[in-house]
Amino acid sequence: MKMTPELKKAQENMNPGVITAEGFLGTDKRNLSSILDEDAQMMRRLEVNPDEAARMLRHFMEEGQKGLGEPVTVDGRWIVRTDEARGHLVCPWEDGIFRKINVTVERKDTGDKLYFTDLSIHLLETHGFLEGKGSTFRLNLEILAHLLML
Amino acid sequence: MDFLVAPIAVAGIAGIMATLVALVDMVANNYGEVTIDVNEGKKEMTVRGGSPLLLTLSTEGLYLPSACGGRGSCGACKCRIISDIGPYLPTEIPYLLPEELKQNIRLACQIKVKTNIGIEIPEDLFNVKQFSATVTAIKDLTYDIKEVLFELGDDTIDFEAGKYVQLVIPPYDKIKESTQRAYSMSSSPSNRNQIELLVRLVPGGIATTYVHQHLEVGQKLDLIGPFGDFCRTASDAIMLCIAGGSGMAPFKSMFYDMLDKDETNREIWYFFGARTTKDMFYLDEMRELEKQLSDYHFIPALSEPQEGDGWEGPTGLITDVLDRYLKETIETEGKVLEGYLCGSPGMIDACNRVMNDNGVIQDNVYYDKFA
Repeated sequence: MKMTPELKKAQENMNPGVITAEGFLGTDKRNLSSILDEDAQMMRRLEVNPDEAARMLRHFMEEGQKGLGEPVTVDGRWIVRTDEARGHLVCPWEDGIFRKINVTVERKDTGDKLYFTDLSIHLLETHGFLEGKGSTFRLNLEILAHLLML
Repeated sequence: MDFLVAPIAVAGIAGIMATLVALVDMVANNYGEVTIDVNEGKKEMTVRGGSPLLLTLSTEGLYLPSACGGRGSCGACKCRIISDIGPYLPTEIPYLLPEELKQNIRLACQIKVKTNIGIEIPEDLFNVKQFSATVTAIKDLTYDIKEVLFELGDDTIDFEAGKYVQLVIPPYDKIKESTQRAYSMSSSPSNRNQIELLVRLVPGGIATTYVHQHLEVGQKLDLIGPFGDFCRTASDAIMLCIAGGSGMAPFKSMFYDMLDKDETNREIWYFFGARTTKDMFYLDEMRELEKQLSDYHFIPALSEPQEGDGWEGPTGLITDVLDRYLKETIETEGKVLEGYLCGSPGMIDACNRVMNDNGVIQDNVYYDKFA
């Protein structure tokens, strides 16, 4: 994939201090195009369907919100907690704004945990973007697959 | 030497262009000194133009609420602009209601001060100060909630119970800029030299991670406040207070304030929700208040009590417990009820629904809608 002007702008928006203090790229030195290409390959290798994964993450978020800020057991297998902060975050691609909702999902039998946000779901679903390596909210595909039992 | 002519010519042209750009920038972006009139003459300040209003005001010691440090992602720094400062920016619109747009309410972090302007802010913001505080105690209340006590040194804070401060988090690890987050004060206003906060760890959260993993006793940290409208009324209406987790903070402050002020006869029902006993805290302190406040009722409830918890109190989501008590236990006939909520926007929406369904009018429900 080429670094189009759209990707260049998105990558600029992902730098620390633009949309979030930490940014979206972590310690990753690759350009956005390479990150997207390599993560897409890994998703194919691990047989993670991004649409299916995004659907499950949204299900966790919506069920977790029913706990009103306290952890809640979802589908008998996961403990989910959602934390909502004031305000919104703009997508780095500038195609939507999202509530600041942090979600923690823990698999009850193994204790594996995954953190993501409302924006993470959109980034995965619409842009195939998992965030850069070292970023706090990067969706680690191996943990994701294991945690979601995909 | 001819091979040097082209690079030297290019470097020369580039140098001239850079000088021109710098000169144009100096002229075009030099707004000189401008004045900001606050609340029709209550305060007037002469400042250097060109910076965002939020930053300009804080430099002059006037602090507006801001939960994102001026990044335009919280929508908290609203103020009314009296002068014409140009059209709304796309970054402001999502945070403003239609009636706010009609009143020329703007986000102070997004607009720049380029000419003389007049602004209107709530009067109580003149009372807001920046404190250089020292951490004197950090206590684990649960596995993910810490009680942090700050000493203000020679400084003092005057506030109404229920208000919040903004904790200024310095750069650390991957975080290269200072960040601010809002926390309700849990200390009583009578304690004017100290501020106590309850901070629940949010995985990935910048401020809560700092407090839980980096903050140490003896360390200095800045606090800005007090802010907020979440305070109890002076009426004798029944107080229905609902919280979970660190939402305990403003209620702890309110109840101890009532004790300090000898307001001990008001009917209060305090519903506090947690998932398991591991998430529950201050049980002894809140139950002890039942001996000191004559009509105070503490109702802790667990949504998912575990085997071996030994829990004998109410169970279910706190909204369900509230609903049951309003229908079966609290005598509401002929009485005025007020709702006081502290929690996430989702929790507040759910509590509002239960209260409205049980006859509590929306105008009598109070909250600060932030986590």
